[in-house]
Amino acid sequence: MSITAPSAVAPERRPAGPRAAKISRWLRRIAIWVPLLGLAIWTIYPLLMTLSISFKTKADVSADPGLIPSDPTLDGYRSVLERQGFQDAFVNSMVVGLGTALLTVVLAVPAAYAFARFRFRGRHLLLLFTLLPRLIPGLGLMVPMYRIAVVLGAIDLLLTLIVAFTATVLPLAVWLFVGFFQQVPRELEEAANVDGSSLYARIRYIVLPLAFPAIITVGVLAFREAWNEFNLVLALTSSPGSRTLPYELFLMTQTTGFQDNPGQAAFAIMTIIPFIFVYLRLEKYVVSGLTSGALK
Amino acid sequence: MGPRPGRRPGHTRQDRSSLVGHNRVVPYLLSGPSILMVTALLLFPVVYAVWGSLFDAEFIGGSPEFVGLGQYIELFQDPSFLWSAGRTLIFVTGVLIIGIPLGLVFAFALSRATGKLRFLRGITIVPYLISGIATAVIFRLILNRDFGEVNRVLGLFGIEELAWFSDPTLAMLASMLAQVWSDLPLVILLILGGLMTLDRDLLDAADVDGATGWKRAWRISIPLIMPQLALATILLSYQALTSLGVILALTGGGPVDATRTLPIALYEAAFIDLETNKALAIVVVILLFNALLTLVYWGISRRYELEAA
Repeated sequence: MSITAPSAVAPERRPAGPRAAKISRWLRRIAIWVPLLGLAIWTIYPLLMTLSISFKTKADVSADPGLIPSDPTLDGYRSVLERQGFQDAFVNSMVVGLGTALLTVVLAVPAAYAFARFRFRGRHLLLLFTLLPRLIPGLGLMVPMYRIAVVLGAIDLLLTLIVAFTATVLPLAVWLFVGFFQQVPRELEEAANVDGSSLYARIRYIVLPLAFPAIITVGVLAFREAWNEFNLVLALTSSPGSRTLPYELFLMTQTTGFQDNPGQAAFAIMTIIPFIFVYLRLEKYVVSGLTSGALK
Repeated sequence: MGPRPGRRPGHTRQDRSSLVGHNRVVPYLLSGPSILMVTALLLFPVVYAVWGSLFDAEFIGGSPEFVGLGQYIELFQDPSFLWSAGRTLIFVTGVLIIGIPLGLVFAFALSRATGKLRFLRGITIVPYLISGIATAVIFRLILNRDFGEVNRVLGLFGIEELAWFSDPTLAMLASMLAQVWSDLPLVILLILGGLMTLDRDLLDAADVDGATGWKRAWRISIPLIMPQLALATILLSYQALTSLGVILALTGGGPVDATRTLPIALYEAAFIDLETNKALAIVVVILLFNALLTLVYWGISRRYELEAA
């Protein structure tokens, strides 16, 4: 028996000569291992290269193209941190990200509860909610929102970004919560209803604690939208102090061109890092939420 | 009197209908803010875009006058708009040609990855967490002519120093690759979801009949996951059709307008040339394409009852 390698293959069912069976088992293993290796390289290698470049000196980027920098330096990170605007953008991204996550949850939970538990005239809007994010991409919103924000004098306000991002994530968030609330057993609430607790108390003490995983999921989803959004930031901000990270990174690529490669790499890495942490801690919520949401 | 769908007979101190059934005020109070917000910030801008696209200003900053469909007629006679539409078609097609087979192969492999290899599923989603701009930066680095990893590997096969960003064809290919990298997680997970629902017994039966490997994938698995495959195709088309950040930061639409897709044309009209009304007309055209895709998407997911969750 040669079961040394971890068996990634379904057990062999077909009776065949021992040698033929062995060969076909190996072929199958290769047919799985090669694509898996390809997937790992495709996904991770670009990130590793970027990480590597971020620790190189400008000269070493071409002089020393290996994956492990021979003379690691933090110059790239220093050049980003010293960039006027990076710190502002970082703080803005945090504020806008957390603000969007909070506002989204606060608005979506009651709405989803209404859609999940009540029959009322607005209920058919739920269907519209599921289609809207597909029908109206951020790209379609940037010019009209820009014009509207100009008229309202709302350009350059972080609040504008929070409100705009919340609107774009809200349909998805409501939809996710509705699915979740429909799984919360009605009996639990009806029992509380018998005990005379109010609607508020039922939501606060029964539904919300049960919905905790969904809240984390939606929160991360909203944070990701806000953290990564570029189009609307481009449209709704004009002064240096009000931008978020993706736009600031875009400006860096425009101004430094191909001259400060370690700096651009370091900047990209720094926009990714917070997310990797969130992701590692909350993987199961993030994966289920992002996929169910995005694949809807 | 509304219907009384309460499942449990008996007396309650409160009105039972406050939990299920009709209620005059509460559901509106609960859902009102969200509905209002979506209406004001998603639907109204679209109406505004359609309305604004019917106007045109004589000169930049001039007061717009009603021109009806004039803006669209001009647009479809404008070679640079038609060029962008053509580039978009090439871009979307290319993304699909690269993305779907790749997603299919990776998803098949992942569906067989058991035990310790399951961690690969977690890693798969990472590119999706990264912004389009950061993705573009990453690809600018790995596709760099002098030190980029891709050229170093190609060099081993005797292909020397491809100029990814100054050759029009290669720049288009580079944009496609970056776009695919960014969105492939969705495709993989969607197809993987389909594969996981396949009936094990059916596949084993096929095994017994001697249909293994490619044959089994082609004849049995792929036909069965057609709905997911169709959704993945549309999803990827969406993302490619409306992709601005990746291309703008990667190539800026160049060289010589090779990657000047509709989103780039929109960006230029709105924020460089300051032709707002023209930009709004482009917005409406993009939204129409998008709506078309949505209809197909919706049709497929309804037909196969694929509403996830």
